[in-house]
Amino acid sequence: MDKPTSTSTQGRLRLERYLRTFAGIVIGVFLLWRVYNVIVLQQNFGADTWVRFGLSGLILGGMYALIAIGYTLVYGIMFMINFAHGEVMMLGAFGGFFTFEALRFIPAPTLSNPEYNFLNAHPFISVLLAFLVGISISAMAGYFLEKIAYRPLRRAPRLILLITAIGASIFLQNLAMLLFGPQRKNVVNPDILDRGAGWIVNVSGNDVLISYTGIFSLVLSTLLMIGLYILVQRTKLGRAMRAVALDKNTASLMGVDVDNVISKTFIISGALAGAAGVMWGIHMGLVNHYTGFLPGIKAFTAAVMGGIGNIPGAMLGGMLLGVIEAIGPAALGIDFQLKDVIAFSILVLVLIVRPSGILGEKLSEEKL
Amino acid sequence: MSTCIETKQVSKIFGGLTAVNSVDVVVPENIIASIIGPNGAGKTTLFNCISGYYIPEHGQIEFYGMPIQGQPTYRVAALGIARTYQNIRLFGDMTAIENVMVGQYPRFKAGWVDAVLSTRREREEEKQAIEEGRRLLKFVGLEGLGDNLARNLPYGAQRRLEIARALANKPRLLLLDEPTAGMNPQETGKMTHFIRNLRDELGITILLIEHDMRVVMDISDQITVLDYGTKIAEGKPKSIQSNQRVIEAYLGPDVTSLTKKYQLRKKQRYDAKS
Amino acid sequence: MRSSAVDKGLRTGVVFGIVIVTMFLIGFTVTGAGLVGKIFGVQSSYSTPPLVFFSIFMILVGAWAGVTASPRPLLEADTWNRALLAGGSSGAVSGLFSAIIGFLFGELNSNRIDPRTYLPSVSPESIKMFLFDQTPFIGSLLMFALMTGSGLAAAALSFYLRNNGAVRSSLRKASESVWDSIRSERVSNIIQNKYTRYASLLAFAAILIILPRTWGGYWNYVFGTVGIYIILGLGLNIITGWAGQLVIGYVAFFAVGAYTFALLTAPEPHHLMMNFWVALGLGVLAAAISGLLIGLPILNLRGDYLAIVTLGFAEIIRILLKSDLMTPYTAGPRGIRDIAGPTILGKSFISDVDFMYLIIIAVLVVTFLANRLQNSRTGKAWYAINLDETVARATGINAFASKLLALSLSAAVAGLAGVLFASRNQFTGPDDHALMVSINVICLVIVGGIGNIPGIFLGAFALKGLPEILRETENYRLLIFGVLLIVMMRLRPEGFLPAKRPELEKASVQNPLGKEA
Repeated sequence: MDKPTSTSTQGRLRLERYLRTFAGIVIGVFLLWRVYNVIVLQQNFGADTWVRFGLSGLILGGMYALIAIGYTLVYGIMFMINFAHGEVMMLGAFGGFFTFEALRFIPAPTLSNPEYNFLNAHPFISVLLAFLVGISISAMAGYFLEKIAYRPLRRAPRLILLITAIGASIFLQNLAMLLFGPQRKNVVNPDILDRGAGWIVNVSGNDVLISYTGIFSLVLSTLLMIGLYILVQRTKLGRAMRAVALDKNTASLMGVDVDNVISKTFIISGALAGAAGVMWGIHMGLVNHYTGFLPGIKAFTAAVMGGIGNIPGAMLGGMLLGVIEAIGPAALGIDFQLKDVIAFSILVLVLIVRPSGILGEKLSEEKL
Repeated sequence: MSTCIETKQVSKIFGGLTAVNSVDVVVPENIIASIIGPNGAGKTTLFNCISGYYIPEHGQIEFYGMPIQGQPTYRVAALGIARTYQNIRLFGDMTAIENVMVGQYPRFKAGWVDAVLSTRREREEEKQAIEEGRRLLKFVGLEGLGDNLARNLPYGAQRRLEIARALANKPRLLLLDEPTAGMNPQETGKMTHFIRNLRDELGITILLIEHDMRVVMDISDQITVLDYGTKIAEGKPKSIQSNQRVIEAYLGPDVTSLTKKYQLRKKQRYDAKS
Repeated sequence: MRSSAVDKGLRTGVVFGIVIVTMFLIGFTVTGAGLVGKIFGVQSSYSTPPLVFFSIFMILVGAWAGVTASPRPLLEADTWNRALLAGGSSGAVSGLFSAIIGFLFGELNSNRIDPRTYLPSVSPESIKMFLFDQTPFIGSLLMFALMTGSGLAAAALSFYLRNNGAVRSSLRKASESVWDSIRSERVSNIIQNKYTRYASLLAFAAILIILPRTWGGYWNYVFGTVGIYIILGLGLNIITGWAGQLVIGYVAFFAVGAYTFALLTAPEPHHLMMNFWVALGLGVLAAAISGLLIGLPILNLRGDYLAIVTLGFAEIIRILLKSDLMTPYTAGPRGIRDIAGPTILGKSFISDVDFMYLIIIAVLVVTFLANRLQNSRTGKAWYAINLDETVARATGINAFASKLLALSLSAAVAGLAGVLFASRNQFTGPDDHALMVSINVICLVIVGGIGNIPGIFLGAFALKGLPEILRETENYRLLIFGVLLIVMMRLRPEGFLPAKRPELEKASVQNPLGKEA
């Protein structure tokens, strides 16, 4: 028997870690240099522009975070990328859209304005209704998705689950296209949530518009995230979810109904995605069958960036991704068409430099 | 007699839990050594450290004097350490003989280019692999079952197939994780005999984890006892049987008064059998 | 027991009801009727198909609902009742759904409200057809009756067939005798006979040579596409079918191959005008390298990350190709024109027949490659990784290197397909490389039989060839693919032609290998 050439202790793994760190430093230095060039040396944009980008990034990030939580929850429990999650969000967006459309046709005349419709007469109720409808639709979509497509495959290899998820994604996307047509639909908000309206703040001599829809989305997504965190950390269901994520078998031996917990996880992640979808409609203003696809993939990127299985990680990752995507093209001095490229490049970069994400993965040890 | 495998102060920590704590085990060549201990004592973790799944936080593992900790699993395997699993892990959708052929992977060289061009090397290696596969199947008593899918084989046959796969790489050290788990006394007896045969006929050093004390005492030349990740005893079966700390570890500290009774009954049973 | 039958019937009915409502809302009822018409040989692609065909279509759906609900296995004596109850209730419930939706839209239509603002597929014609050209009330009643009736009838029929010993045994006998004759020694002798094998190979070759000449351009185009998809399927099969790593953005490697080839041979934008064969080699090489680069940081991580990273990679490529940034280098959204065709000794062969031959040769080469790899040492290592990566590592397989090899080979094959595709069309643009291509390939591999070469042929013909014949369903193709993936994974994850393992032990007994060497 010949002696092996490399006997250095812990050799390869350490080498790999060094390589990853090295690649990270190189890429980081390059990016910093580039950003420095653009922001400090060239000064194409004033401070107001950066504020505007940052703000829109935060708003977008809130939505990404909500979707990313769904990916992380499901991945933590089932070790599966739920590809159809973006489509679940899209269904929620349609739910909000149709609620607004329906309310627009309900007359609610007031003395001052006899042609008023319900949407504008009772904007708060309308928005609440839109969210209720959107969230219920998405939660139901999540529930049935799990029940019909994933549950029969509980013991199947992961490849099969993944393919099913892709099938579900294709199915939902095309169903929405065939049902509602391929055109983008304009979401008509209540007047008080007009997309052009907002507070105007003066930044270095220029006016920056902080839109009501944006602040509304940001606040709501923050509240939902806090609510979810409390749910997971403080309630019995949250404890059961964490237990199932750690070890399905042991959890079921301890009297946790695993199927039920998985179902509820899908409902919760669907509900969050639905909320994000309605927000998307209200803030972005356009909805079609493709609405969920890109945000879905990006939110997965965010989940990986924060550390898959890690709920605060998904929130942080989502916010970060939103901001990077909004600021990135300008900061790197590249075309705005390429903002999607930035998001995907981040995924690759994260996987090269720090595969376990910023806050670290929280996954159960795979049984050897 | 040279040392086959030696762990020096090996520790493995999961989060806050020290699963294996500064364990020294020395296994001389060509013996059957056992690791025993209550559930959760860190036996399988130690196995996983040896076979390269885990990188121990501290300590060294030497295989014939060569440090192997931190080496990737596949290289450890190629060096000549093979293992089986507590819950049988075969390639279920492959046939039995293919399982054995996969086990021979590191012994051959033909790459994909050879396969595409069907070179002489490829053809000869394939021929060798099949012949060796048949021989090994015969050796473990599965002759004629080679073309069945592994998952369709009965339980005992799967255990033996797993050992055949482990043997395929001509290992010098074989790690067996509970080889008789789930077997009836008859099968257990056969398996014990079979393990002893492995050592005697093939000259392989065997390190095994086992819960069945009769098996352990029967075939081991050396026993190491782990409890809460620490080694509490080591020695010949006789000395382990009477070791106070081992008995406490298994039965709890309050039963020292009981142990005498236990030993007595055990002795009676032993006498009755012989 | 009766209540359980009704229960099952109701549940089945609800499912079928939802399916029918969905079909109506996406306009599939019209398409379905058209398909039925096509079976009867009546072409009606442009006008709405006659009512008869629509009725037949609905009867078929109702019958399906009835059969699904009818009890099995048969247990009690009074199963006639149970069958009828289950089938009837199932048909009735699905009929109720259909009747309600029909009535609703019928009323809307007669009040001159056009639902197409929100549901563009619900045309007045389709509503009229759904109500059998009657008033909403009568039409929906008719619908209800039709569905209930067909559910009942189908349940009764299926019960009769299943329960009637004579029919069943004769059916079984027939199928057994067919199987026996296939399996019989004489037939297998004929199949295994050396001369018959040569003869069939010869006949096959002759068909492959003659067919492209006689088919005409259209079929050459269709089957050329099928051929390219066979290549893609065989390529994806290496990494997904054998090594078990899902690659969703497979089209990225296709695009790398196509664009490398196009840029090297087209007059614009670089005017390199390289030789076809050199460019082909470089295209394949570029794809292989891109696979290697993608795999390098990712393949030793969790397996399913590969799926999403390749998806991201495919999107990056598509966006970059469309962007202004890359327009000077890749001709932007316009695409690249006048890509070279194959040449031999300076003579160019770009007629559709010649190209068909080229594709056939490429398919044969790739098949040969795949066949050699399948059960080789490398192939076994891939499959071992697929089945249990941890154990594969512990048996001495360098899983990372093996997966990297599989991905590069896969990418190279995709590159070849891309080169052929670009060269055949003499054009390639960003829209040729949409995600749709990947999805098609994944579907065909899975439907045909994952990991199995003949299965991939079957899948490619079924998924790329059939839709050419069933042009009506074009809009619904992706929807159907999605359903197909879910259903296949649940009912038959190994595909229609599942892979078989070779019988190595037996083979070596019958035919000692000593002879061969």
